[in-house]
Amino acid sequence: MSYINGKDSPRQTILIADDSEMNRSILTDMLGDEYEIIEAENGVEAVSILQKYGNSISLLLLDIVMPEMDGFGVLTVMNKHRWIEDIPVIVISAENASVHVERAYELGVTEFISRPFDALILHRRVVNTILLYAKQKRLIDLVADQIYEKEQQSGLMVDILSHIVEFRNGESGLHVLHIRTLTEILLKHLGHRNSLYQLPRTEISLICTASALHDIGKISIPGEILNKPGRLTDEEFAEMKKHTLIGAEMLKALPMHQQEPLIKKAYEICRWHHERYDGRGYPDGLKGNEIPISAQVVALADVYDALTSERVYKKAFSHEVAVKMILDGQCGTFNPILMECLKEVESILVEELRGDSDARASRRQMQNVAEELLRHEDLSASERTLQLLEHERMKYSFFADMSEEIQFEYTVAPSMVTLSPFGAKKLGLDEILMDPHNNPEIQVMMGSGTLRALSNELRSTTPEHPQVKYDHEIYIHGEKRWMRTIGRAMWSADEPPRYMGAIGKTTDIHDERTRIDALVQMASHDSLTGLFNHNYARERIRERMEDRQAGVFALAIFDLDHFKSANDNYGHMFEDKVLIHMAEQLRRSTRGGDIAARVGGDEFLIFLEYKEDAEAVVQRIFTSLEGTYEDFRISVSMGVVRTDAVGTDYDTLFHAADQALYAAKRSGRGQYRFYDDTMQEMLSVISPIDGSEEKPVD
Amino acid sequence: MTLKECYAALEGDYEGVIGRLRSEKMVQKFVLKFLNDKSYELLEVSMAEKNYEEAFRAAHTIKGVCQNLSFTKLYESSHRLTDNLRSGYGAETDGLVRQVSEDYKQTIAAIEELQAGNPA
Repeated sequence: MSYINGKDSPRQTILIADDSEMNRSILTDMLGDEYEIIEAENGVEAVSILQKYGNSISLLLLDIVMPEMDGFGVLTVMNKHRWIEDIPVIVISAENASVHVERAYELGVTEFISRPFDALILHRRVVNTILLYAKQKRLIDLVADQIYEKEQQSGLMVDILSHIVEFRNGESGLHVLHIRTLTEILLKHLGHRNSLYQLPRTEISLICTASALHDIGKISIPGEILNKPGRLTDEEFAEMKKHTLIGAEMLKALPMHQQEPLIKKAYEICRWHHERYDGRGYPDGLKGNEIPISAQVVALADVYDALTSERVYKKAFSHEVAVKMILDGQCGTFNPILMECLKEVESILVEELRGDSDARASRRQMQNVAEELLRHEDLSASERTLQLLEHERMKYSFFADMSEEIQFEYTVAPSMVTLSPFGAKKLGLDEILMDPHNNPEIQVMMGSGTLRALSNELRSTTPEHPQVKYDHEIYIHGEKRWMRTIGRAMWSADEPPRYMGAIGKTTDIHDERTRIDALVQMASHDSLTGLFNHNYARERIRERMEDRQAGVFALAIFDLDHFKSANDNYGHMFEDKVLIHMAEQLRRSTRGGDIAARVGGDEFLIFLEYKEDAEAVVQRIFTSLEGTYEDFRISVSMGVVRTDAVGTDYDTLFHAADQALYAAKRSGRGQYRFYDDTMQEMLSVISPIDGSEEKPVD
Repeated sequence: MTLKECYAALEGDYEGVIGRLRSEKMVQKFVLKFLNDKSYELLEVSMAEKNYEEAFRAAHTIKGVCQNLSFTKLYESSHRLTDNLRSGYGAETDGLVRQVSEDYKQTIAAIEELQAGNPA
C-alpha cells in the first residue's frame, strides 16, 4: 500500500456525516490532505451517498444526533443492506453514555470516539481502520477465490466420475441429472411435510451432489453383466448387487477427505440406495429409518428414473405407470411418508425432468464460461463479481433513465422506499423516503387508502405468483392523474417465506384512460344534451330489469308539442337551447335510480321503478316538465306503460309506450296517458307501422 | 488580543484545546469560524416556536462544537440544557436557555475581540 499517497493512484474516500458544519470542517481540515472527503449533513443524505458510491467509500465518520435520520438509523440501513460488512464506521459522538456506545458496537461500528477528540488519535484511528479493512478485503478475496475454485473442481470431478459410470452403463447421461432433480424435489417436499425430515438447505444441496455418485461401484462390474439385454441369472444378479458395497469401499479407501461431508453422504448413498424400508433390500438388509434418509430418497429417485427410462433390458414406462408400479409396491417397499410425497409432487415431476436436458446444456455453457474466466488469472473471482454487478447496475440505471417510468424499491425493514432518479423528479419527492406509510408527502400524493390497498395486494401474493397490477389515482404537482403500478413482492427464501418488500414501476396511464373514458362517454351519451342516447339507455334498462326481477317499473316517452313552430319562429339555435333546457328539467325531476335519455329529435324517455302509485310519480314529472323557456310555452305529450301491464320485454314496452303517446296526442296533446288494452291497435308516434317516415300526428 | 487571552475571556481551556488539536493556527481558524455557526440562532428560533426537538438538536450541536474547541463555560451550560431538553420542555428549561444565551454572548464578545486583532 506504499502508493497510497502517490499522485497517480486515486485517493480513498471518507464520508463524514454530521449535522454541524463546524464539526465537519474540523474533520475535513484534519483529513482532507490525505483523503477525498464527502460530507453529509443528515442521516438520509448519508444513506443516499452510501447507496450511490457503494464500496468506493472507504470509511464513514458518523455522528449520532442528526436531523431527518440519526446515526443509529444510518447504521440500521447499513446492516439491512449489509454495507456494514464492507464499509468501516467510526462513530464520533458526545453521546458517550454506555447504552449508546454499546448499541453502536452492536450495530457493527469499528470504533467509538467520544468528543472532544484528540486530533492525533482520531487521525491514527482513521488511517488504521482503512488499512485494516483493505487488508481484510484482500484476504476475503483470496479465500473467496480459493473456495470458488475448489467448488468448481469438485463439481467437475463429480460430473466426470458419474459420467464415466453412465457411459459404461450405456445410459443416456441424463440419469444422473434426473436423480439429482428428483432427489431435490423429494427432499424439499419431505421437509415441508414432516419437520422430522426437515434438513438445512446446505445439507439438501450436499445430498443432491452426492446422489450423482450412487452408482460409482458399477465401474468394477463386468460390462457383459451391466449391459446384458435379458434377465440376469442368480449368479449375475449377485455380482451386480456388489456395486453398492464396491462404491462404498471406493469412497472409504480414499486416502484423504474422509471427514468431508460430501464423502460421508456419498458413502451412505452408495452403500444403501438398494435397501428397502421393510428390510428386504441389499446389501445390509437395513430396516425403516436405519436407512439414512439420503439413501431412502435416492433409492426412490433411482427406481422412478429406471422405470421411466429405456434400458437394454426394457422399454420406458410412462410416468403414470411408473408411479403406479411404485405405489403398488412392485419395486419394493419405501417409507410411507416418502410415498405420500411422491403422490403430492407427481404433477410437477414430468415438467421438472423435461427441463433437465436444457439445464444440462446451460450447465455446460456455464462451465465453459467459468473456464474461460479462470484463464484470465489477473481477475479474481470477487472482482469479477463486482464488475458484473457494476455492469448490471449501469445497465439498470441506464434503462431506468430511458424508460420514463417511476421505478421503486420498497423494503420492510427498515421501512424505506427508494425511487429511480426519474421517478423522484417526476413526483417531486426525494429518492429515498423513510417510513412511507407515515410520510405526509406520500399520504397527500396517494391517499392513505391507496397506499394501504397496494401494500395489501403485494402482501397477499405468494412467492410463486408475486406480481400485482394496480390502477389508482395520485396527485402529481396538485393534478390528479391515473397511474398503473405493476409490482413484484420480494419474498425471502425461508420457510415460511417472509415478505421483504417489493420492487415495481408506476406508469402514467392518465391520457390513455381519459381517451377511453371519452370514447365510452361518446358512445353512450347524446352529444347535445348529455343525456344517455337510446341505445345505451336500452341496455341499462334491460340490465336494471334483469337485476331487480321483483321490481315494478314504468317506461314513459314524451315529446314537445308544437316543437316545429319553435323551430320555424326562432330558428335552429333556439331549438337546441330548448332541448338542452328540457334535458336539464328532466335531470332535475328524475331521481337517482331513474334512467332518462334522449331518444332522438324532441323525444325523450324516462324509466323508473315505483312502489305503489305510478300515476303520482308520472304526474309529478309531467308537471315539472311544463312551463316556458324564454317566451316559448312548453307543453308535452307523454305515453306511459307499466311492466305489470305488458311484461318486461323492452321492445314491447317501448312500442306500448309509443302507442300511449299516440293516444295522448290524439286526445289533444298536453297530457299523459297510461297504456291500456284499448290502444293495442293504435298507431305509434316514433315507429310508425305504416312505414312512412312522417310522424302520423304532430 | 491573543488566542490565549481570548480563551481566558470566554473561560475556555486553552491548554486542553492545543493539546488535542495540536495546532494553534487551526484552533484559531475554527474559533473564528464559530462566529458564523448558526446553531445558536436555531436554538433561539426553535425555543420561540416551542419546537423542543429541534431545540434539543441545536443545543446538542453547540455542546459538541464547544467540546471540540474546549469552550468550557459555554460547553457546560449547553450540556446542561441538552440533558434537560432530552426529555422535552421542563420547568428549568427557560433558566438554562438564559444561561446558554449569556455564555454565548460572552464567548462571541471574546472571539470578536480576537478577530478585531487578527483581520482576516
